[in-house]
Amino acid sequence: MSARTFKPTETVDFVVVGSGAAGGVMARELAQAGFEVLVLEQGPRFTAADFRHDELDYWFNNALLNSPEASPQTFRKSAQDKAARVRDFPSLWYARMVGGSSNHFTANFWRFHEVDFRERSLLGAIAGTSFADWPIDYAELEPYYTRVEWEIGVSGLAGASPFDPPRSKPYPMPPLPVKSSGVLLERGARKLGLHPFPAPMAIASVPYRGRPSCAHCGFCMGFGCEMQAKSSTLYTVIPEAEATGRCEVRSESYVSRIDVNDRDRVTGVTYFDRDKREHFQKARAVVVCANGAETARLLLMSGSARHPDGLANSSGFVGRNLMFNTYAEVHAIFEHELNEYKSVQVTRVVHDFYDSDPRRGFYGGGGFDSRIGPAPIGWALFAPPAERSWGPGLKSLIEAMPRAMVVATHGTSLPLESNRVDLDPELKDAWGLPAMRVTYQDHPDDLACAGFLQDRAVDVMQAAGAQQVWKGPLTDAAGSPHLLGTCRMGNDPKTSVVDRYHRTHDIRNLFICDGSSLVTSGRGQPTMTIQALAFRAGEHIARFARRGEI
Amino acid sequence: MNKNNTSRREFLRASGGALGAAWLGIHWPELATAAQHAHEVAAGRVDHEFMVLTASQARDVAAIAAQVVPSGDTPGASEAGVVYFIDHIHAGLYARSAPEFLAGLAAFQAEFARQHPGTGPFADLDAPGQHAHLKSIESTPFFGTMKYLTIVGLLALPSYGGNEHKLGWKLAGFVDQHAWTPPFGHYDRDYAGFVPYATAPR
Repeated sequence: MSARTFKPTETVDFVVVGSGAAGGVMARELAQAGFEVLVLEQGPRFTAADFRHDELDYWFNNALLNSPEASPQTFRKSAQDKAARVRDFPSLWYARMVGGSSNHFTANFWRFHEVDFRERSLLGAIAGTSFADWPIDYAELEPYYTRVEWEIGVSGLAGASPFDPPRSKPYPMPPLPVKSSGVLLERGARKLGLHPFPAPMAIASVPYRGRPSCAHCGFCMGFGCEMQAKSSTLYTVIPEAEATGRCEVRSESYVSRIDVNDRDRVTGVTYFDRDKREHFQKARAVVVCANGAETARLLLMSGSARHPDGLANSSGFVGRNLMFNTYAEVHAIFEHELNEYKSVQVTRVVHDFYDSDPRRGFYGGGGFDSRIGPAPIGWALFAPPAERSWGPGLKSLIEAMPRAMVVATHGTSLPLESNRVDLDPELKDAWGLPAMRVTYQDHPDDLACAGFLQDRAVDVMQAAGAQQVWKGPLTDAAGSPHLLGTCRMGNDPKTSVVDRYHRTHDIRNLFICDGSSLVTSGRGQPTMTIQALAFRAGEHIARFARRGEI
Repeated sequence: MNKNNTSRREFLRASGGALGAAWLGIHWPELATAAQHAHEVAAGRVDHEFMVLTASQARDVAAIAAQVVPSGDTPGASEAGVVYFIDHIHAGLYARSAPEFLAGLAAFQAEFARQHPGTGPFADLDAPGQHAHLKSIESTPFFGTMKYLTIVGLLALPSYGGNEHKLGWKLAGFVDQHAWTPPFGHYDRDYAGFVPYATAPR
């Protein structure tokens, strides 16, 4: 069946704002449940044939991203500072296109652990933070993690990590072939008594559900997959949603406002088409899946006399508790060739330091994985220490690239009310809407944890026999593609934006599901969890709709 | 980017298409000799055209780039045509930054002349002298930009005007092939397979 096209005068059952990791799943779940779904996506629709191996355009010219010119942002470290316009590269970045950031992500796809959902109870309060338990636990999310693995498509080895939480089913595909970086990470980690394991990746290792397997071209992180082997929603749930005949994905449709009546019911959304003409789309309910940055901004832009602080914001938590996951790199050069530019970025992961351990003197945990940044420009620009950033020192590092690998850490970010997305009071975007203002400063424990993980990664590289090992810079984060926590879920309407079913506490027919729903940051690589939440939310929202409870 | 110039460059590329990587591998020393003098380039003796830079600006830019990634036993920024990338990118992708870049370059040249009266342009200085001067201005935004542009010009797709004959990729051991099969490197060649852990560690 071909995709449905709705007329502007029709009232659809659901408008889904955003077609990324969460929006794609939501559209498919609601359409397959029998509802009419219109997905409004601000970016264009690409096909696999449109993606190119152009490192300059994709990494340094924001070819796939929200552009700092059309969609400007400002950044500051604290509310006392005046936020400055961010040039060259966005602070909060995402792929602005159908399928969203599920197109250009690295595709690391491990589940959160049980501890991630109830750490506040286990460890107690942390002063100055809004550290909290989730309203759901791992067991409640487990069936949906399994659905992600089977319906989106994840390659991995069940039971390989002794730290993994319980699972009801193995992975549907075997792990991708190990790379030299994975072998070396495993070698070093095992020598130190650690437990490296094959990386779970949302990339097809064998042909899967009509998609071909990975060709190992190497252009995953920051690139779209021209093989359709990466399990982006563009290639998985979005075509399935359209195949129901009840779903339209309307690209280049930029939602500027969610409209409510005087009984606090959403009536539809206002959006700009590709020619910047405004339209109003009527809907019985709206699900916002616009990512942890844009979702909060849209709610704040949808304020009115009745909702002076923005829509669904009686808690004041919309846009607050922004979390990133820390990131630090360790670089290593070995005797023989690894050729890290080939194949998927990550093949082995270490999660021995996942849990927080009070004996370390700080809150937090995480892991690290074998990978290289985008090659080769990224290597030459980002890997060299300052004293080797030009001249013969730089040249020798460029020549050493085939023998190099990077270990990347992934760790916790504490939720802080002061870290937030809001509306810049002066700057406007290309549509005349308020620009996004970002306020962010890492909690000291976040940086301490990242430094700890970085040091453990150094140990592993040395144990693996590296000839040279050095650490990348570890500084305050000024941005991230992990956009988490800004409309957190919770049972208490005073300290959360959505309830345990992703319904906003304030507006009965307004739902939110994306990275903004997360209560804690996990240890990084959040997309798997965002999609599990979307499968679960879709099921509950469909149930409410069938019962007339929307 | 100027379409006419692009197609002209493409034409020149196509006519020189016989010069494959294997040929370059064999004839590298001759090629280096033929291409190493930036002043030849700026004087228009090779088939390149500048869209943004004047000949004297191009000489200094080429000289700075050659300090960022020097030539030697293997190709550097000069042989990879980085100066053409830096020129062309400011007529295309970075056209909006061109005034800022040219102002930075002018300030660089003025400061050099102030510090070295009577020695002529930066490009005329010997290599150790160039290195010493750049060391003294290492932390300026202009030099940061030059480092960035040199690396990108060396390693971006050749269609942007640099990385000529893929010499930058060759230097970095990068092969632009769209599919690979294992083994990918030395260390995964004899990997015995993942051995499961006997017991849970906690």
